[in-house]
Amino acid sequence: MANESVEKVLKLLDKTIVGGTLFSLDKLLNALSAVSSEFKDELKQYDITVQLRLKDKSYGRYFKFRNGTVTGYDGINGDARVEMIFEDETVARKVTALIRSQFDFVNAAKNGQLVLNGPDDEAMWFSSLLLKVFAFDVLYLKNYGTKMPNGEMRYTTGTNGGPLFVYVKDGKIVRCTPIEFDETDAPMWTIHAKGKALTPPRRATIAPYTQGWKSMVYSPNRVLYPMKRVDFDPNGERNYENRGISGYERISWDEALDIVAKEIIRVRQTYGPGAIFHTSGSHHNWGNIGYYLSTAKRFFNVLGATTAQLNPDSWEGWAWGGQHHFGGSARNGGTEPYNTVEDCLQNSEFIVFWSSDPESTSGNYAGQEGTVRREWINQLGIPCVHIDPYQNATAAFVHGRWICPRPATDAAMAIAIANVWMKEGLYDKDYVKKRTYGFEKWQAYVLGEEDGIDKTPEWQEDITGVPARTVRGLARYWGTHKTYLACGSMTSFGSAGRTAFGTEWARSMVCLIAMQGLGKPGINFGTLQYGTPLDCKFWFPGYADGGFSGDFITSGAGVSTYNRMPQTPSINSEYQQIPRLRIPEAIMEGKAESHVMGVYSVHQQFGTIKYPAPGHERVRMYYKYGGSHIGTQPNSKRFAQMYRCDSLEFVVNQAVWFEGETKFADVILPACTNFERWDIAEFASCGGYIDKSYLQNNSRVIFVQHKCIEPLGESKSDFDIFQMVANRLGLWQVYSEGNSQYDWCKRYYEATDMKNVMSWNKFIKKGYYVVPPLPENRRDPVAYNWFAEGRKKDTPELTPLPSEYYGRYGEGMQTPSGKIEFECQTLKRFDPNDDERLPICTYIHSWEGVGSVPYQKYKLQLISPHSKYSFHTMGDLKDTNINDIQEHRMLIDGHRYWIFRMNPKDAAKRGLKDHQVVEVYNDRGRVLCGLELTERVPEGVCHSYESCADYRTLENNPGGEDTVEVMGCINNLTPGRFITRHAHGLAVNSCLVEVKAWEGGKVE
Amino acid sequence: MKKFHMIIDLEKCVGCFNCMLACKDEHVGNKWLPYTDEQQKHEDKWICPELTERGEAPYTEVTYVTKTCMQCDNAPCIKKYPDVLFRRSDGIVLIDPQRAKGNPDIVNACPYGNIHWNEELQVAQKCTGCAHLLDQGWTEPRCVQACPLHAIQTVFCEDYQWDQLVETQGLKPITSGENRPRVMYKNLYCYNKCFIKGAFAFDKDGIEEAAVGIKVELLINKVVVAETETDFLGEFKIDRIPKDSGKMTIKASMDGYDPILVDLEIKDKSVVLDCYKFGTDELGKPAVILPNEHANELAVQHMTKADAEETKEAYGK
Repeated sequence: MANESVEKVLKLLDKTIVGGTLFSLDKLLNALSAVSSEFKDELKQYDITVQLRLKDKSYGRYFKFRNGTVTGYDGINGDARVEMIFEDETVARKVTALIRSQFDFVNAAKNGQLVLNGPDDEAMWFSSLLLKVFAFDVLYLKNYGTKMPNGEMRYTTGTNGGPLFVYVKDGKIVRCTPIEFDETDAPMWTIHAKGKALTPPRRATIAPYTQGWKSMVYSPNRVLYPMKRVDFDPNGERNYENRGISGYERISWDEALDIVAKEIIRVRQTYGPGAIFHTSGSHHNWGNIGYYLSTAKRFFNVLGATTAQLNPDSWEGWAWGGQHHFGGSARNGGTEPYNTVEDCLQNSEFIVFWSSDPESTSGNYAGQEGTVRREWINQLGIPCVHIDPYQNATAAFVHGRWICPRPATDAAMAIAIANVWMKEGLYDKDYVKKRTYGFEKWQAYVLGEEDGIDKTPEWQEDITGVPARTVRGLARYWGTHKTYLACGSMTSFGSAGRTAFGTEWARSMVCLIAMQGLGKPGINFGTLQYGTPLDCKFWFPGYADGGFSGDFITSGAGVSTYNRMPQTPSINSEYQQIPRLRIPEAIMEGKAESHVMGVYSVHQQFGTIKYPAPGHERVRMYYKYGGSHIGTQPNSKRFAQMYRCDSLEFVVNQAVWFEGETKFADVILPACTNFERWDIAEFASCGGYIDKSYLQNNSRVIFVQHKCIEPLGESKSDFDIFQMVANRLGLWQVYSEGNSQYDWCKRYYEATDMKNVMSWNKFIKKGYYVVPPLPENRRDPVAYNWFAEGRKKDTPELTPLPSEYYGRYGEGMQTPSGKIEFECQTLKRFDPNDDERLPICTYIHSWEGVGSVPYQKYKLQLISPHSKYSFHTMGDLKDTNINDIQEHRMLIDGHRYWIFRMNPKDAAKRGLKDHQVVEVYNDRGRVLCGLELTERVPEGVCHSYESCADYRTLENNPGGEDTVEVMGCINNLTPGRFITRHAHGLAVNSCLVEVKAWEGGKVE
Repeated sequence: MKKFHMIIDLEKCVGCFNCMLACKDEHVGNKWLPYTDEQQKHEDKWICPELTERGEAPYTEVTYVTKTCMQCDNAPCIKKYPDVLFRRSDGIVLIDPQRAKGNPDIVNACPYGNIHWNEELQVAQKCTGCAHLLDQGWTEPRCVQACPLHAIQTVFCEDYQWDQLVETQGLKPITSGENRPRVMYKNLYCYNKCFIKGAFAFDKDGIEEAAVGIKVELLINKVVVAETETDFLGEFKIDRIPKDSGKMTIKASMDGYDPILVDLEIKDKSVVLDCYKFGTDELGKPAVILPNEHANELAVQHMTKADAEETKEAYGK
């Protein structure tokens, strides 16, 4: 293509758009098709006449499309197949300039001032043609990305573990690398601490599962074509019981869409509201437009579907326990992060990592950004301890003693620490007096004034397995040094909060830090992971802020995106919900119940949902997005049983890969990865329930996610798949406003502060932007310092909601007293006698721990935290290179076994050897694993990650009673009981098992 | 001429395996001829960390040791197959992919196991230092670029500068060093030396207290060779003791008590001592306490009412 003709076209484009007229559309379309045969092919699709006119027919112009050539005529043509009707001239003028005024366009559509008539497919074709004109240089001239000297194109994308440069040649990904900043990007920040100037490197880091992404894109386990289960006949025998067993046959997109659309209509018309159930995996391919909270939300909103009530599965303890003491409902019990990195490095004298492993989980989505900061701990020589039953990756890397309490006993140790502080006066009495409520109540419990049990370090010794002298030594050092308390991956997460009564651990953490003066210099929550000195005034939303969903009620869009991005609203009219942890029960038994987790208030969680909702039948169709539940949800064999019962008449799974759960669908729709479609997003930015999560990063990196390659096989973006289904239901305009995913990316960009700093053209060429950090003298105030010093809240966030201040607005914590409450008034009002969650924090022994009923048979305590090398199920199996990490899976006899870690002494007692196949079992299931002997667990404790991506039984009898699972679905073994009675939270780290050598032979 | 060198710092490796994955990303499915043909998808790793442990719970220390071609200056592989392997002027040792076809014995030419046999393509292969990228202007190989803390680092320098670096940074070869490797290690002690870890305690008012801040000495043949102090948990650690150092003695001194002397022997492993108690012959509590026979009574005492009843009933049977 000659450059000259491209230039000419671009000029014409500009003139047409800027001129705000579509009247010369024929000339424009003909000119464009002359330079792009691809575009000409699009024009050739229909030989029809299209009419543009004012409503009163006072003016009109029509266009005849014939074999790819367009001819325009003035007037009204009675034979037009498609009509675009404008209310009046003003509307016409505004709309024809829609590229500059999305607002007017959306408004006109919303108000019925702009109408598009005609058969759906033809109207859609014409409407998308108009939009393609505006995106012509990108879509057809491929005018994006950076051309490298060797002819490769360098694109950008984002993943769950950091952004990437993607090098492409001949339509194939050559390599993916971390983004290294160039000289035009903003400089990094510096923290001055303890005589050192600390500056992170000028680049964005990535997690291992991100470095493995190329092998995930080209995985042989990609779903590349629409598939139908061989023995599923929508008009005849459906053979439910064969789900997960029978194979698949390739079908055409048309056939697949016909089945799905017909089933949607049949099920809804037969069974009424809420008959379609939809869930996603917790996480999805990165990108604010393509994320499940955007595309899927919009689609299921317009459809009206029963959704899952989600549990905060990575931080249950904080959500159902911790927040009653100090609020933070907007983050489900999460803490403020602001500027704690600087405060910690400058002022803290001790760091207690308690169930904290940001090195394994990348914090949340943050690549290896926090690693350099934790290396500074080593450099500055700040003493640390690491409390976790497993010597996790952070404990292995950051110096400091590893203390290993038995799983689910952490609260006993914390209470004993408080006991030492109370007895020896090692706490901030002034702070406790001024800033807290109900201390005496808790003190009476801790000192045993009521139950006669003095909760001393000796008391906890037999419970936790940690000797009293260690706990006393720790308590004294902590009580005399300014201490940062690091819990979980960012703050207020952690596997200790996913144990039986893990609520009490989280609560004990709040109580301990309250005794030391939360918010005073050097005393705060933080893992050096969250709270970097970045600029959080630059507005760019995260994935949970709604994307293009238009859902201003159940996504963060209501507070964040909706008022910035003109879009038609979308609301799910269906209020029926199923608690996620009870999906199989709901389907199989037809009922389920749980509490709800809300973000508006602390007491919102006392509310309950009941399934089925009044006036509803049970759900009959399950539209599943991805396939991770069997790997990630507790007691997950239930899911296989659920799929094989006849309650679900139709199951469709829209998936990128054949994962464990994908294989249970009747129809599988092939979704492409985010490397094969357009998107836009920011590094590690969730928004919504983890506000400003990008403060985990060393820089804010906002990027375009180029369509790096064409979708593989017949796969399509989730957006396009939903669009196709929507089209068959007559919902095409309602779903997408007729815009493509690329159009939405651009609209999204226009809505954000990005448009003030970089033009769209430059953005899509370079691919990313680094937001300059704040200068040292303008950094945000340190988290909770306002509270410690009795000021009004001055940290940069809108939450809590005004009504959550019981006294004057902006003063104090989100508790009834406005203080940190040792005795929680919210819990006291709810049920003062709930012995699974009393108003004060207590130690409650696990129903599945040492000395419990199952302990008679099963002597090993198993914890299964989030995996280090895969992002949940992403990256695991599917023949990716992640499996080559010998700490991820173990290759024995040609089979890659999930790894089960055990102390050599426990192995010796059972006659087991390193690197052998073992059967891990309890009453709930049997799972084969590869045994790794390690001193990173003490005797009596075992470790294996959650999140196996596949599910396969030796007997090919999914969900069967005595079946052996061979891929490593550890969650087949974990308990389904809620963390505490009045919660909807999991307790997977309270799990007893036994282990024996596998004698069943080689696994094929 | 500046030459290619690599420093691998064991204290900075977090075990993310990005190096191995970046190497696969670059070489699996990509041919970089004439430098090298494709790497096998799973069978070979041209660079890879290996997890090693010292000590025992809860005094476990984890170190990842990353191994790759050491680009020996005095390369035994070149000596054995001078027609197949060659050294570039920047020091990088390469295998000629044409000439290395069909001869699996080449693999044995590296005494350190860093040459691999590609069964599929029937060719001997190894790390190229990403020479194909360096020649295009890249400043570092893929593994280095992907390493979060640059625990792997490339240094392009003259031989004499490298010798200075080896000296000032205390770099050590992971092998005997006889073939003058250009890949050297920092903090290698985490891998090849031993530590002694122990705890001291004393009784006060019937409570076992950690002996905090007391002097601990290491004696060999009655000569003090190292000295340290216990930390806030009454624990000490003495590291960097060569393997097979033989018999030695730990001496701990606390005011008002006779010193404690513990004899031990360093063989090929780190030594974790029991907790010794001043003023008594008894040992202190071990650092991890196992469940005792009263575990069930204790559990029931702290269970919710319903759980306790169920448990009592089950154990009563």
